[in-house]
Amino acid sequence: MSISGGSGGAGGGSVGRGMSWCSTTSVSSSGKRIQKEMSEFGAYPPEDCSAGPKGDNLYQWIAAIIGPSGSPYEGAIFFLDITFPTDYPFKPPKVMFKTRIYHCNVDLDGNISLDILKDSWRPTLTISKVLVAIKSMFTEPDPYNPAVPNVAYLYLEDRAKHDKIASEWTMRFAT
Amino acid sequence: MATEQSETPQNPKTTPKPVESKSNGEPIFSPRFRSVAAMAGWDEEALLLASLIVEDTPERESKQRKRPDLPFKTPPPSSRRKRRAKRANPSPIPSVVLGLDEEEGTNSGQEANGVKEIESKSDPVEEKKRGGGEETCTISTDTEATAVSSSSSSSSSSSSVPALPCIDRLREELSCAICLEICYEPSTTPCGHSFCKKCLKSAADKCGKRCPKCRQLIGNGRSCTVNTVLWNTIQLLFPQEIEARKASARDTKSREAERESPRDHSYNVRSRSIRPVMVSSRDVNMRRRRNLPSQDEDAAYAMRLQREEFMDVFRGTPRSSK
Repeated sequence: MSISGGSGGAGGGSVGRGMSWCSTTSVSSSGKRIQKEMSEFGAYPPEDCSAGPKGDNLYQWIAAIIGPSGSPYEGAIFFLDITFPTDYPFKPPKVMFKTRIYHCNVDLDGNISLDILKDSWRPTLTISKVLVAIKSMFTEPDPYNPAVPNVAYLYLEDRAKHDKIASEWTMRFAT
Repeated sequence: MATEQSETPQNPKTTPKPVESKSNGEPIFSPRFRSVAAMAGWDEEALLLASLIVEDTPERESKQRKRPDLPFKTPPPSSRRKRRAKRANPSPIPSVVLGLDEEEGTNSGQEANGVKEIESKSDPVEEKKRGGGEETCTISTDTEATAVSSSSSSSSSSSSVPALPCIDRLREELSCAICLEICYEPSTTPCGHSFCKKCLKSAADKCGKRCPKCRQLIGNGRSCTVNTVLWNTIQLLFPQEIEARKASARDTKSREAERESPRDHSYNVRSRSIRPVMVSSRDVNMRRRRNLPSQDEDAAYAMRLQREEFMDVFRGTPRSSK
C-alpha cells in the first residue's frame, strides 16, 4: 500500500461545513484522514470489497462486500452503511448491514457484533481493514460473541441446518 | 545494516578530507539541511548545536570519525565566525555544488536504496567531501546526487526525491498511522510505535493511554516527546510535505486566532481581551474617586449651605410669624 501524495487533502476544509465552529479543527483532521483513506481505498481496494461516500458527505459511506466462496453467502452482494464519527479515527466508525443476512454476529437491524468496531477499535485501523474483518466474518462466524444468540446456537449445534438457512436467506435477500 | 558495513571501510581514506574542509570553513551542513533548519526557525547557535548532534550520530556508527571531529569542536568560536562569514557571501556553497553537479549528471540514473539514504543524510557533507573519489562506491555517489540536488536549489530537490525507487515505501513507513500523512514531529511510544505528536496526544485524550497501534498501556509523560532523529530524517526526506504541513498549520493557527478573538469578547470573561474593559472600569472608578468626590464635596457643601439658609429662613419665619 502506498499513500497518494497530498492530492487528497484539497477538499479537507469544506468538510466541516455545517458543523459548529468549535469543533472545526478536529472535523477537518478527521475529514482529511477519511479523504486519505478514500484515495488509498480507491488505489488498493481489498478483494471483493468496495466502498465510498454516499454523496457529498464524506462522513457517510456505503460499502459492498461480495460473499466469499466456500460460505453460505457465496456470490451474493451485501451492502453496508458506514458512518464516521467527527472524532474519527479516535472513535470507531459505525458499520451496519443494509442487506439482511442470516449470521450470528449480525442482528435483524444490521448491527454487527465485532470487537474491533467496539472496544478493540484502534485509531490505526482503517475502513479497508474493517471491511476485510467483516469479510472474514462470513467464513468464520464468532458464535461466542453473538448478536443473535439463536443463530449462534444453531451454528454450534447444527452447522448444516444453519448453513442451509443462511444460503436461503442469501438467495432471498442478497442476490 | 549492510550499508554501514560497506561504508565503514572507506572511512579511513576519507576522513582526512572533512578535517581540511572544516578547518577551511566549508559548509558543515548540506544546504538542504540548512533550508530545513531555516524552516524550523533555527538560528546560528541552534545550527551549531545541531552540528554537534549531527556529527555525533555517525560517530556512534563508526568510531573512526571521532578523531577528525575533535579539532573542529574544540575551537567553536572561530568556526562559527567562519560559518557566519561564509553565510554572508553564499559563493562558497555554489562552488561546492558545482563540482558535484557534474557527478549528479553521471549518477542521475542510479538507483538509491532508501535506507542508505537515511543514513547518509545524517552527514551529507562528509559524503560530499568523500565525493573526491566518486567512483569508489555507489553509496557516496547516490547520496551526493541527492545532496547536490537539495543544495543546488530547493526546487530541484523535488526532482531528486522521487528518483528514489523506494520513496513510496519510505513514505508508507514514515507516515503516521493515525492521520495517514508523513509523521509531523513524530513521537515514539514505549512500545516502539511512532505517530505525530499531535495525533498521539489526541489519541491519548480521546481513547485513553494506550498505544493506538498495539493497545499497550503507555505512560502519558514520555509519550509526547519528539523523536528527534526520526523527525530530522523525515524533514530531510520529505522537505516539501513538511513545509506544506507547516504552512497549513500556520494557516489554521492564524485562522483559529481570528476565530478566537471574537469568542474572547463574547464568552471568555477571564481572557485578555476583556481585561482592558475591566481596567477601564477601574479607571472610571479611580476617576470617580478622584474627581467626583471633590464635586460631591462641593455639592454637599453647597447643599448644606443652602439647607442652612433655608433652615434659617424657615426657622426665622415661623418664629417671626409666631
